[in-house]
Amino acid sequence: MMLVSALGVVLSRNVVHSALFMSGSFLAVVGFFVMLSAPALAAFQLLIYVGAVSVVILFGIMFTQSPQVRSFSTIVNKQVWAGLAVALGVGGFLSYILATEDWGATEAGQGTRDVAAFGEYLLGVGPDSEIFAMLFQLVAILLFVAVIAAIVISRRKDTDIESASDVRDVGE
Amino acid sequence: MPGPIQTVAETLNSQIPLEGFLIVAAVMFAIGAWGAVIRRNAVVVFMCVEIMINAVNLTLVAFADFLPDAGGIGASYAALIIAIAAAEVAVGLAIVLAIFRSRRTVNIDEVNSMKG
Repeated sequence: MMLVSALGVVLSRNVVHSALFMSGSFLAVVGFFVMLSAPALAAFQLLIYVGAVSVVILFGIMFTQSPQVRSFSTIVNKQVWAGLAVALGVGGFLSYILATEDWGATEAGQGTRDVAAFGEYLLGVGPDSEIFAMLFQLVAILLFVAVIAAIVISRRKDTDIESASDVRDVGE
Repeated sequence: MPGPIQTVAETLNSQIPLEGFLIVAAVMFAIGAWGAVIRRNAVVVFMCVEIMINAVNLTLVAFADFLPDAGGIGASYAALIIAIAAAEVAVGLAIVLAIFRSRRTVNIDEVNSMKG
């Protein structure tokens, strides 16, 4: 179901349908996380991806799309079959390597279901996870900078409006 | 002698091996890469990049659950990846909005002013 949804993102003509297929694909990943005994991560995925990222992308669609019916050949560029060959090559190669590699003693359920232990690892106070103390703060700084950058980039300037009208005049 | 229904039920109830998760994630990554290469709409390209990030995350969590020495640290690492992906979406959609405002298109074939 996840793969069908992912294909729907790629092949759907309507951009809104693509976004909804993307939500479905993320939901399937949530299911996989639950199967892999990572319930806290599944909750994160549900909140951040299915909740936040999908809504942000739908807003982006709302601001940028004009409603129009498109045929399939106009939504893709000239590289469909070359891209398919490359993607099949990458997928086949990854699958082959991952399937034939001997991963040693693998057994399900080795991860921790304990949310407290998950939080201790994330904050760098758990065993063998000192590096996470630094990574956690780096991610905090990165998110801060990214939010400021997003505001700065998308802020409306007067010159933008003038140049937009210029481009439209040239286009017409 | 088990009938076919029992066989199917046993197959469905059996434990999925590590390779199953890894191959599903690899195929999902390939689909995302295909979409990121062929689509013209920049927003859809972002969705495909998100799918690729999710595939890698799934691989990481599968290893964290299956490998004995991982000890659950991979799940914490996946949480950091989710945060970074959220930052990437915020910045990327801001760039798409800025391009749309100045050029009235999100078609990545037409945004070629940096082409040499």
